[in-house]
Amino acid sequence: MELFFQQLTNGLAIGGIYALIALGYTMVYGVLKLINFAHGDLFTLGAYIGFTLLTSFSLVGKMGPLPTLALYGLLIMGLVGVAGIVLERVAYRPLRSADRLAAVVSALGASIVISNSIMLIYGARFQVYPHHLLPDITLNMFGMKVPFLRMLMLVLSIVLMAILYLFVQKTRIGTAIRAVAIDHGAARLMGIDVNRIISIVFFIGPALGGAAGFMVGLYYGQLNFMMGWLYGLKAFIAAVIGGIGNIPGAMLGGLLLGVIEALGAAYISIAWKDAIAFFVLIIILIVRPTGILGERVADKI
Amino acid sequence: MKRLMLFVAAILMAFSSGTVFAKAPIKIGLMCPETGSWASEGQDMEKIVKLLAQDINKKGGVLGRRIEIIVEDDGGDPRTAALAANKLITRGIVAVIGTYGSSVTEATQNIYNEAKVIQIANGSTAIRLTEKGYKYFFRTCPRDDEQGKVAAKTIKHFGFKRVAILHDNTTYAKGLAEETRHDLEKAGGVKIVFFDALTPGERDYTTILTKLKSENPDVVFFTGYYPEAGLLLRQKKEMGWNVQFIGGDATNNPDLIKIAGVDAAKGFMFLSPPVPQDLDTPQAKAFLKAYVAKYHSYPSSVWAVLSGDALLAIVKAIRGTHSTDPDKLAYYLHYKLKDMPGLTGKISFDAKGDRVGDLYRVYKVDAKGHFVLLPRF
Repeated sequence: MELFFQQLTNGLAIGGIYALIALGYTMVYGVLKLINFAHGDLFTLGAYIGFTLLTSFSLVGKMGPLPTLALYGLLIMGLVGVAGIVLERVAYRPLRSADRLAAVVSALGASIVISNSIMLIYGARFQVYPHHLLPDITLNMFGMKVPFLRMLMLVLSIVLMAILYLFVQKTRIGTAIRAVAIDHGAARLMGIDVNRIISIVFFIGPALGGAAGFMVGLYYGQLNFMMGWLYGLKAFIAAVIGGIGNIPGAMLGGLLLGVIEALGAAYISIAWKDAIAFFVLIIILIVRPTGILGERVADKI
Repeated sequence: MKRLMLFVAAILMAFSSGTVFAKAPIKIGLMCPETGSWASEGQDMEKIVKLLAQDINKKGGVLGRRIEIIVEDDGGDPRTAALAANKLITRGIVAVIGTYGSSVTEATQNIYNEAKVIQIANGSTAIRLTEKGYKYFFRTCPRDDEQGKVAAKTIKHFGFKRVAILHDNTTYAKGLAEETRHDLEKAGGVKIVFFDALTPGERDYTTILTKLKSENPDVVFFTGYYPEAGLLLRQKKEMGWNVQFIGGDATNNPDLIKIAGVDAAKGFMFLSPPVPQDLDTPQAKAFLKAYVAKYHSYPSSVWAVLSGDALLAIVKAIRGTHSTDPDKLAYYLHYKLKDMPGLTGKISFDAKGDRVGDLYRVYKVDAKGHFVLLPRF
């Protein structure tokens, strides 16, 4: 039983990261009906910007680790958010009226450009975050040894997601986002500046992805210019499981995917864990094609 | 006017081809992972091979001709490698050096063999690569059956009774894991409590480590590559688990220490041919001096040094046969090249193309992150 809970917490921590990245996919899909394939690379960008910040000038000595990292985290979210806006302007806005396929190809192209730019700037070898920035405490909870940092990662992910959810549900801009996600034309008629809302979405989604990248870099330490590919794919799967276009769905999908992977690896076979996760995806899609919290598709009469 | 332009263009082309007035260089390909998970290996390979080629050219070249090294990136991935191989065979190369990663090399063997290009791999130890009867394939690196034997011997020597074996489903790692398991079962006296694979390229291995821990092994033998080994060591330390890890030869790379951190890597043991600093042949010492003079550091990987040996073997074969005909070169390399003094020792190839000799030693990582060679036992 203890093993079960240990693996469960392992899975939840990984799932938190998937959920953060999945939010980026789901929000962009919601407003543009486009899968932003470059999102995984924005996640990588966040990790690398964090690396640059930490290795070029470190305020850790002056301010202590937690405030410094919090400051860097906000800085990274801002920078990656801006990168997201630039991405949208350059790669997606010109194709707004074109075929959907053109936008998809553009997204793939953007992904290649970003990941290769990172490779050219930072080199093809692994980069490693400085070790021992945060204390290596291991908490003893209910008889399980849980590293404090994993708990922190999970808690931060949930906090960020909660903030986003409240933002989308309770504020005017959030309402505008939801309106644009339903229909661009109708939103315009209501006086919403659709382009501005899309830019905001492209700020928030990548900002969360960048935050996830920073956390992954801090916790696992190892960076590679291709790391966004696998995370992006898993997060996309998570978003689809939860219902693409649906924000609570992305959160649920991410956590669920992390847990399924962990439990599948623990109880069935490690080598097959990805196969198991994707098998579950197939089952869910067969039973509920729009995902667990599925997108409500309005009937056109 | 048009005719004049055509005439000028023709003259320019004749001059620019350069070979009109000089002997054509001998082209040798280098296929290596310049990008991807093993970029540090590929970049070292390029540095070493180019340094050696420069040296040879300075001393007059081969058969009076310069050597030209043509580099293609295989990305550490079989698909990219197949593309790289197809590109290289159209460039008129006599032979190709490469590569690191048995599954990557395997994807290109057929391409080179059909094009009759000699291929000498430097970092591909999977057994089956030389069991396919490819006449033009050789390797300067040892083979995993030797490594499996040394692994089993090492595990028994240290008295471990409960053994967990972890691989990553690549050609090399799975082969080595199965060899070791076979040798351990034959030797008897140990129990294999775990045998499974992880997915390379991931970051989070806590699930696997938790599962491993629940099986309570005395030692974990990980046959995968150094990026994953580094992460495993680091995450194992975070879990507070102190089990001994032994790695196969693909964990031999200084980036391992970088990724795992010096604390987590301390005490880690691995099997490997001797690392560059421990090479003791006079050629090696002279070469290392030249390398340090040019690049201001030692080569980090013995696999890259083995690519240097591959170049030396090719050059010796061309000089020995006075030709660049692939069949003559292959015959020479199989049967006439005996105990050529190379950087890593004496080089000879057997009829299958494998390197003859026993190379594997055991290394341990000390508290400062240095690789310490353990004495033979």
